[in-house]
Amino acid sequence: MPDGLNRDARFRPLFERWARRVRARLALRHALTGAAAGLAIAVIAAGAAWKTRHGALRRYTAAAGALGLVAGLAWARRRRWSDGDVALYLDQRLESEEAIATAAGLRDHDDADDPARAVVLATAASALRDAGAKRVHPSVLKPVHALVPLTVAGLVAIARAPLPPAPATAVAPGTTRVQTADVAGLEKAIRLAQASARDPAQRERLDAIAKEAEKLKADLREGIEKRDAQDRIARLKDAIGEERLSLGAGEKRGGLESAASKLEESDLTRAAGKALGDHDLESLDEEMERIANAREKADRELAKKKLDEASELAKKQGAEDVAKALEDEKGAMDRRSARADALRELADGMKGAGVGGDELQTESEALDRKGSDAAARRLAESMAKALEKLTPEERKRLAEKLAEMAKKRGVASADAERLKDLADDLATPEGQKRLEDQLRDLAKEDDETEESKRQGALDDAEDGAEGTERGMGREGGEPGQGEGQQGGKPGHGQQGEGQQGEGQQGGQGQSAIPVPGAGSRGGRGSGKSDGDGRGGHGGSRDEGTGDHQGSTPLVDAHGLKSRARGPLNKAQGMPGSITTYVPGRAGATANTRGTGDLRAVGPREVEGVEQSDVPEEYREQVRQYFQP
Amino acid sequence: MRSGALPGKTDGVMADQFEAGLRQAAEAVARLRDAIGHVVVGQSAVVNQVMWGLVAGGHVLLEGAPGLGKTLLVRTLAECLDLRFSRIQFTPDLMPSDVIGTNVLVMDPAQRAAGSMFTVQRGPIFGQVVLADEINRATPKTQSALLEAMAEHAVTIAGTRHVLEEPFFVLATENPIEMEGTYPLPEAQLDRFLLKVLVPSPSEDELVAVLARTTGRSPGAAPRVLSREGILTLRALCRDVIVAEPVARYAARLVRASDPSSPDAPEPVKRGLRYGAGVRGAQSLVLAAKAVALCEGRAHVAFQDIENVARPALRHRIIRSFEGEADGVSPDSVIDALLAAIPTRPANVDAERAKAARA
Repeated sequence: MPDGLNRDARFRPLFERWARRVRARLALRHALTGAAAGLAIAVIAAGAAWKTRHGALRRYTAAAGALGLVAGLAWARRRRWSDGDVALYLDQRLESEEAIATAAGLRDHDDADDPARAVVLATAASALRDAGAKRVHPSVLKPVHALVPLTVAGLVAIARAPLPPAPATAVAPGTTRVQTADVAGLEKAIRLAQASARDPAQRERLDAIAKEAEKLKADLREGIEKRDAQDRIARLKDAIGEERLSLGAGEKRGGLESAASKLEESDLTRAAGKALGDHDLESLDEEMERIANAREKADRELAKKKLDEASELAKKQGAEDVAKALEDEKGAMDRRSARADALRELADGMKGAGVGGDELQTESEALDRKGSDAAARRLAESMAKALEKLTPEERKRLAEKLAEMAKKRGVASADAERLKDLADDLATPEGQKRLEDQLRDLAKEDDETEESKRQGALDDAEDGAEGTERGMGREGGEPGQGEGQQGGKPGHGQQGEGQQGEGQQGGQGQSAIPVPGAGSRGGRGSGKSDGDGRGGHGGSRDEGTGDHQGSTPLVDAHGLKSRARGPLNKAQGMPGSITTYVPGRAGATANTRGTGDLRAVGPREVEGVEQSDVPEEYREQVRQYFQP
Repeated sequence: MRSGALPGKTDGVMADQFEAGLRQAAEAVARLRDAIGHVVVGQSAVVNQVMWGLVAGGHVLLEGAPGLGKTLLVRTLAECLDLRFSRIQFTPDLMPSDVIGTNVLVMDPAQRAAGSMFTVQRGPIFGQVVLADEINRATPKTQSALLEAMAEHAVTIAGTRHVLEEPFFVLATENPIEMEGTYPLPEAQLDRFLLKVLVPSPSEDELVAVLARTTGRSPGAAPRVLSREGILTLRALCRDVIVAEPVARYAARLVRASDPSSPDAPEPVKRGLRYGAGVRGAQSLVLAAKAVALCEGRAHVAFQDIENVARPALRHRIIRSFEGEADGVSPDSVIDALLAAIPTRPANVDAERAKAARA
């Protein structure tokens, strides 16, 4: 074998060995770089999985590290150094002045006998033989490889970390569930089942309202969607409101109007006529009560006559229910008149006999001044108490006085007959006791007409429904809806700060008139002059500072009246106003004409935004606001 | 190799003998360098480059200001080499025949009957170490006569071709500062020189040494350290030095990048040069690099050898552009830019080198 080949045989294994080491370390470096990149991606992916609460995916992200390792190895293979590159690298590290590169290039040299070749091979082999691993090996680690332990630690930390809490999902407006046990307001609607009905049809409607209120109450206790509850309460209120207006409604409207006009012909019954025209039978009853309890008989007769005429007119025009209500009112007036007369005569007798004291005097004057049933009842109560305390002397004197009064009235007078009976009763202690009982019964007597009671019950039911709605957290009250009692002091609604706030918000303020018995709907219960009424519901922004105790100085509010509770004229709605609910197109909203079940919407709510005169620049905002 | 002879290289010579020959060559060059150093003070770079030209078998153009020892260097070299030395002082009236010789009519009294006859009167070109002093002062015609001999190692006189005796080594000098009445060598003729060596001014220490030597007693003649055979052996060994492919490619890339139209040309080349080095430039580069390797006792060429000879081998082969000349761009600065721009090794290996350097 030529000497050159021998030297080649010595050089080649040395070179191959070093080349393998160098390539292996380079491949390892590439693999580590790939693994670092893959693990970095894995950490990011694991972080994303953690953030998005895909906890199960976190462990699989580590596969990215393995993929990076494989990719690094593939890259290392693709970028594998040739022998020439390795030789140049070794020359550079060993400072052998390209001896190794020259020797490596001689591999296929066909001039094996060239002495220069043998010398170069020997020089290169010598350089490789003397080479140390530390001097030759390329560094495996790079700064980026520090990511490997860091990312592995990060992966472990992320894999073991508890998932973040789920983000709060947006709740569609009105879909929050409301659950409340405080449904006292609905109880008033439920009590409509016990209220008297004008006819079987009304009985059926009132029962239906009570049944629906009962069902709603049960559902609210269980919990239902707020929008559902609001919808049902609105329906309930509509049904109650419709029932309040049912007297003389529809074809009977003419009879009602004629009767009201008839009553308004006289100054005495004008207010009553207006109340009838407004379907305000409570006010009508109160007006008649005032006339009936008045001392002037002529007025009573005139009023009864007007009632007769009005009733007759209503009957002629087919408004049987109106006619019946007016007849009932007339009957109540008779009873009230008789009671008031009897009480006054007995009171006069007692005063004449010098018994009864100041209290009797005060109550008697109160009856003359107010003319209310309540005043009459208090007078009766007062007289019963006075009779109870009578000494035999006083009783005798009182009987004599009554007999004297009967004599003065004449034999044929009914009043004289009644006075004579009273005198006879007082002749014996048993009679006196009987008279006391009669007076106490009189104090409890209720002469209110059925229509008035019914309407009162309906008002209570409507107020109760509204209170329930507000209790669910409805934002803002409806304008003019009875914030007068917010001060908590009947007859002095203005003392409540919330009342003023409501006045600004609602922009009406009729309910703010601080008059007992003439307050808003909310303050209806406080309208009694005796000041024992209870404050109604407050608005959601009620910041009133009143004590809500229900006691207040009496205010003479005779003749003043609030229109806040005035019923709406159920005629054709004004353009643009929404007076009731009608079935809407399926799925229609304020913005779109839909196909789903929207149940009931106002006639103008459907495509209301498009039909409105909202400027174009604001239209989109309005659309979004009404977006379901 | 004290006698000046090196073992000849023949087929089948054992590698050990070749290795010994390399060692002896390095030693001979070192001795030659020392011998010249006895006479010439300093200028070690110039001496080295002249020896590279001698070993590579090329000619050398020395450029430097007057009085820097160019002629002394050449004379000393000739003395050390045991070769015939001739000197031609180029002047504007110098004729080609003054350089190469001519036929002259000779009248031999002994053969009067035969009449007179022509005989060749050989010119100074027939020396072995020829000093062409101030070559740019002669006319182009005379210059071309010299350059023909340099290329062909032969001259033609009256139709007869005369081969010059080997080794034939021309060292030309030129003065860059006296341009009046000179005939700058054309680029094609400059290309015939293997190396162009710039002779710098001596340093202060060197100048002191020069003063000491030249103003006192004469130091005496330089010793002869290398025979004609020894030089021929060196030249043969130089041709045997191996150039690895990456090194050859590096030389090729350098030369190609010196062409301003090349995409690899760096910006200074594109801006400062009109023409780059050609094939002969690449050959000179590698041959000179082989000489460097041999002078250092190596049988292979390193990248550093290429870089070492790049300036003397290329500086006279690149032609500056008008812009380059106007900007005062020197050929050496362009070559430096080339060396800086062209990497020796592939990028991946270079990156590893950078990492190792950082480490």
